[in-house]
Formats: sequence, structure tokens, C-alpha cells
Amino acid sequence: MSTVPVSSSATATPVSPAPARSPRRLIAAVPAIVLVVLVLAVATQRPAFLSATSLRTLLEGTAPLLLLALGQTFVILTGGIDLSGAVLASFGTVLLALWLPVGGPLGAAAVLLALSLAGALNGLVCAYAQIPSFVVTLGTMGLWSGVALAVSGSSTISITKGYDTIFWLRDLRVAGLPVSAIMAIGAVLLAAVLMRVLSKGRSLHAMGLAERATQMSGGRTFRLRILAFALSGLCAGLAAMVLAASQFSGAPSLADSLQLPSIAAVVVGGTVITGGIGGPLRTLVGALLVVVLRVGMSVAGVPPSFEQIVYGTVIVAAVALTLDRRRVDIVK
Amino acid sequence: MTGPLETGAPVLELRGVTKRFPGVVALDDVSIEVRPHEVVGLIGENGAGKSTLLKILSGVYQQDEGELLVRGAPARFRGPRDAARAGIGTVHQEQSLVGSVSVAENLLLGAEGRSVRGGFYRWSDLNARARAQLAKIGSAISPTARVNTLTFAQRQMIEVVKAISVEDLPDRTVDAEPVVVFDEPTSVLAGEDLETLFAQIERLRTRASIIFVSHRLDEVLRISDRVYVLKDGRCVAEREPGAVDTQELYRLMVGRASTGQYYREDEQGTFDSTTADADEVLGADGLSLRGRFADVSFSVRRGEVLGIAGVLGSGREDLCRAIFGAEPLDGGELRVGGKRVRFRTPADAVRAGVGYVPAERRFEGVAMGMSVAENILLADSSAVSAGPFAVPSKRAALVKQWIERLRVRTPDPGTDVATLSGGNQQKVVLAKWLSSPRLRVLVLDHPTRGLDVGAKEDVYRFVREMCGQGLAIVLLSDTLEETIALSHRVLVMRDGRVAAHFDAAPGAKPTQVDLVEQMV
Repeated sequence: MSTVPVSSSATATPVSPAPARSPRRLIAAVPAIVLVVLVLAVATQRPAFLSATSLRTLLEGTAPLLLLALGQTFVILTGGIDLSGAVLASFGTVLLALWLPVGGPLGAAAVLLALSLAGALNGLVCAYAQIPSFVVTLGTMGLWSGVALAVSGSSTISITKGYDTIFWLRDLRVAGLPVSAIMAIGAVLLAAVLMRVLSKGRSLHAMGLAERATQMSGGRTFRLRILAFALSGLCAGLAAMVLAASQFSGAPSLADSLQLPSIAAVVVGGTVITGGIGGPLRTLVGALLVVVLRVGMSVAGVPPSFEQIVYGTVIVAAVALTLDRRRVDIVK
Repeated sequence: MTGPLETGAPVLELRGVTKRFPGVVALDDVSIEVRPHEVVGLIGENGAGKSTLLKILSGVYQQDEGELLVRGAPARFRGPRDAARAGIGTVHQEQSLVGSVSVAENLLLGAEGRSVRGGFYRWSDLNARARAQLAKIGSAISPTARVNTLTFAQRQMIEVVKAISVEDLPDRTVDAEPVVVFDEPTSVLAGEDLETLFAQIERLRTRASIIFVSHRLDEVLRISDRVYVLKDGRCVAEREPGAVDTQELYRLMVGRASTGQYYREDEQGTFDSTTADADEVLGADGLSLRGRFADVSFSVRRGEVLGIAGVLGSGREDLCRAIFGAEPLDGGELRVGGKRVRFRTPADAVRAGVGYVPAERRFEGVAMGMSVAENILLADSSAVSAGPFAVPSKRAALVKQWIERLRVRTPDPGTDVATLSGGNQQKVVLAKWLSSPRLRVLVLDHPTRGLDVGAKEDVYRFVREMCGQGLAIVLLSDTLEETIALSHRVLVMRDGRVAAHFDAAPGAKPTQVDLVEQMV
């Protein structure tokens, strides 16, 4: 009689219980808790961090990142990813520098429209050609980056004439808060509220969780995908306005370094990379986390060149923690 | 009745094996045994627990209770590898071969051992070993042939060889003849290939024990020494072919002889055929889809169930997906409520009042990860909206109403639909369509697949109720019995065309034989 693997015990391995709702909520609260802890940690090291001026600067610096991350949120909710968001924003600043002097407010509107269309194009290609968004946006990232370089002559274009169209983003304050920050947070809140009150508000989530079932229930998944990418483009346009206003100029790679942190903000906030779970409010927490982390690093004396290392690590760690592997058949 | 009944200690034994999944008991206290050189048949309807049992035998699942004994020694397989090491090989229903490489590479995949030196194949050694394996069943297939150049039957033979090659694993834990499990091997075979397979099994039994799973009763009777019948997760009978016929096996498998009450035939409405077309809800003229079906015409009236029968490849699956806009039509005319329609996507169909309960419930039916409430409102929430805005109180009331009406067993409407049992998930899918005020036509694609008996009866009840409310239903069913019992009319498809039309009014139903004659 030969031995056979393992034991003779007939004791049952219990079927793993269905995930209860409360742990899920608890997990959703983790980023917020970490944020509070991080803020307190930085504040104990440097009490001035909690001063009004310091917080104002912090919020001001957060606006472009938050807007890009918001756009990214729509796409990630559908289960895709947009690698071209930051590059589009850079391109947007170049367009603003070129179009504001001639068009004024119309020029700004044209830039928002153009970037929305560029975003929609990403979605269109993904939906109709059935190509993963990772590949499509990797391609368009190169494309728009190249176009931005060509159009700008590879140089920074300062904005003088027409700057009055966007000056308020930098200089105007409401209740002591910079308008750019109010706009970014307002966009987040608007998106969150709409997702809640519209009867089709959870369509992006449905698509991210179960695209086939959504489609077979009459959901227009092609349009939803295009919508998500178009919104990402629109958000890139808003981010471009904020950046152009704060820099008085447009430049072909002005926003490029925000790509990694904008994805980090979404996943650190707790939106699941495979789609369907999460939303704009989590991204707000995530963006603040990323920014406070940056401040924290400088307080701790970490050289700025290490920042991207931290963002990269944080993305992988956050995805590892939030990914529900039962939903992923094969990881490629 | 194919060979002498061997006696001797069982080579493989299950004792009181129970396996639970959330909401379902897939296997309930099942005991079976396999003796040396025996062919054991295992039959049961869809959802009876056959595949769960096989997955426990092949190490994919672990039982919750009960014992698995290999040659008398208790075993617990933590994965497919453990099962293989214990000498249990499986011939999978869907072939598990890598098409682009050679027979030899496939046969020794994962067991290359000495045939690989420094990361390189030693081809002569690999091919020699493969040839030795093939010789075991007297196969002349060349080890160097590329698998995707072989016929289906040849590939199946390779699967068989692969299954018995578990006896040569260097790290095997049981040093004896293997047990080979055939998982519905005949469902895609016919004629000569079938005979080859049976001859193969006859030869194989001289050196192995065999478990043969199928739902084709005549085949099981022909090849097996003993037959176990599974029903609703329980082993309800053990028979020897000499002492049983297909009729009785069928009765054991389904659990009843008469079907009228089960399908609520007394609740089936009747039609006055003279008023026919005035009440047409769904009409089709000459529908075609290249390579799938052609020239299909039918008409479904208010409150009527049209059953569509046909074998795999008859085109009926494609037809019903095309009615829902999930596949494009090449030609013909489709009418809903007398108006000509053209669906480019399912969204168009939903808008026109056509719903679809898909066979692939887990991927196309319910949106896993979304709540029961969200699933119910996924198709049409217009009735509980004010313009583009949701009205939460109305939403909650509608959801509650349908959960109660269809008796969906869920802790609360916010529960993730993925945690419900198959039957309750199917009820959620039905509620999704029935709660839509627009719904006029419902296409049911294998609506009872994988459901237990209770849930099936519920589905039949809803079908009757829906008809009573004037819905037109197109039904594709797993069994002819279900098709005949539920339908008012039956359309038989063969090779993409309508082969016959039967009236199936209550009390004047066609027999299964009538239908089968037209199907093949």
C-alpha cells in the first residue's frame, strides 16, 4: 500500500464565506485613514504644514493632478486604462498658448473640445477595433506627445495676450481657496453626485464589473467606453488650463510627469484596477494622499528624484492590496 | 454488458462525499466505487453533480465531507497533480491539447524529465517515450505529428494516451494500474469515431479501470459494467446493464415518469387558431445569417410559447441571439408588434421590448459584483426614474416587489448577486426583464440549465404566468421533454433551416420521437 497525498481526516474545509459587506466598507475607508495618519505624521514633524498658507499651496498644487486622476477614474471604472491623459494635458497647454491669443474664451473652449475628441478617439478605437486600451493609449501617448512637440517647435510658449481668459484660475480666491482647487474638487463632487442621482449613473461600474451582462441587458457599452475616454480628455483639458494659468505658458511636456501619480491617485484611493468598484470620491482621497506623500517625502529628506520610484511602488502595492483575484481568470 | 464483471478490492472509492457551494449542495453524501478493469457509467442531468464529482476526482475541487480512497488508502488531492500522481487521468470534454506542437510534446507535457537536458529537448528520447505511450493502446499516430493536423478522433486518442500516461509519472504515489475518467467523450462524436472510441475503451479496460460519464443513456448501457445515477447531487441508484433499460434509467435520472404536473401543463393556455395572426407579437420572415441559418420564418402570438428544437449546429442558438440583436442578420424581416425592426445591438432590441435570458448566465445574465437591486434595474429603469434622475423610493419599491413575486432568496436587495445560488441568480435575470414595462417578447435560452429541481419548477411557473400576461416567448431548452411540455408550438431546426413545425397544444403534444426524426 503506497502513501497517498495528505491526510485521512474527513474534516471539511469550509467553503470560504461570501464576502460580507462590512469588511468591504472597511477596506474602502483604509485610504482615508492612511491620509489622516500621514497628515498627522507630517504635521508633527513640521507644524507649519497645517497652516492656512501651506494648505492653500497644497490644494493649488493638487488641482492638475486631481483633474487628471478624475479623468483616469472614469476609464479605470470601465476596466480600461488611459496612458495618454498627461500627454494630452501637455498638448492642451500648447494649444492654449497658441489659441488663447487669437480666440480668447473661444480658444479655451476649443481646446477643451479638441482634447475631449482626442479622448473620444481613444475610446472609439478601443471599442470598434477591440484593442485593449493599454495598447491604444500607449500608442496615442506617443502620437500626441509628438504632435505637441511639432506644433510647439519643441519649446515653451509663454502666454501674454489672452492670458486674461485663464488668469482667474491662478489668482482668484474664494474664501481663501484658489479657484483651480475649487474647480477640481467641484468636478469630483459633480461626478460623484451624478453617478448617484442619475438612473444610469452606475453604468460605468456595471460595465467594469460585467461588460457582457451589461451589453446583453441593453447597455450601450460602445458609447459608454467612448464617453469614459472623452471625459478623460475633457479632464485633461481642464488640467491643461490650470497648468497653463499657473505657468503663464504652454510646453510640450509640461504635464507629462503627472501620468504616474494620476494613476497612483486612482488606485491608492481604492478604485479597483480591473474596474467596477470605486469612484471619484475615492480618487479625491487618493490624490490628496499622493500629494501629502510628496510633502512628507520632502520633510523626511527624500530627494525629489526618488518620487517616481515611490509612485511606481505605491501603484503596484495598492493594486496588489485591492485586486479581487477571483475576478481575474488569467493575469497577463 | 461488455465484459466479465471483475471482482476484487475497489481501486477507487468515494464514501459519503459532500461538496457545497454558496447556496447549493452540489454533492450530497455520494458513495461510489470502481473495481479493477471495470467500466463504470455515471449519468445524470445537467446540474446533477457529475462535473463536481469529476472535479473532485481530478483534484480541482476538494470535498467538504466524506472520504476518497485510492486502492484502499485515504487520499486528498490538493490539485490536479496529486490526482495524476495517484494514477487518475482524465479525458476532458473539451480537449486539452496544445495544437501548435507535436504529439510527443503534448504527451509528455509536464513530465519531460530526462528528455530535457540543459533546457533543450532531447528529441530522440522524447519521441521514443511518446511512441512507447502510444503503443500501449496500439496507436500508430506519429509522435512527431503536429496536433492540429490530426482529426478530432485522433486527438481524442492522444487525450486517452495522455490520461493513462499518469501511470508512468516518476513521482507517482500509487504504483498500480490507472483509473481513466472519460468526461462526456461522445457528445461531439458520431458514427465511426464513436465505434473507434468504444473499441478503444474495450482495449483500455485490460490495463485500467474506467469511469465513463455521459448523458446518452444507450451508450452508457452499452459500454458499462455498472451504472451510477446522480440526481440533484445525490447518488440515487446503482444498476447493472442487464437489469435495466434506458427507460428506467431515464426515470431514475429525472425522478418521475409523468411530466404533465411538473411542467404545469394544466395551466397552459390554448389558442384559437383561427384568430392567429391578429395577435402576432414577434414575426419573422426568411431570416438568415450566413453560415448559421437561412430562410427561417415563424410567428409568435400574445401569450404563446414557441419552442425551438435542434441539435448542436442546427443554428437555433444563433437564431435566438440574432432575434435579440446580439448577432447581425444578413437578410429577412423581423417584426415586433407588427412593426418591422432592425436590431444592430441588444440595446435596440431592449428598446423595442425584446428581452433575452442567456444560456451563459454567469457572464451574460447577471452582472456579478453588482447588487440584486442594481441587476433587476439593469435593463430598464425608466419606470422608476424622473427624466434622467433615479427616484430611490420607487426603485426600492419595484425591486422589493419583484424579489417577492419571484421569491428571490437574498438577505437584502443590496447583496452582491454573485453570492446567490444559480436558481436565485436566474430569478434575478427574469426579474430584470419582467420588471420592464416595455417587455413584449422574451427569448429564453436554456433557462433551466444548471438549476436544481425546485428552481426549475419556479421557472416553469413563471413561464406560465408570463404567458398569462400576454408575453410572447421563444424557448430553447436543454431537453426535448421540456421543449414539448412548455411550448404551444415547436419549430424543429436542422442544418440551419426549419425542418418541421409542430403544434403542441395541451393534450395534443408531439412525442420526442416525432421531433428527433426531424432533428437528425
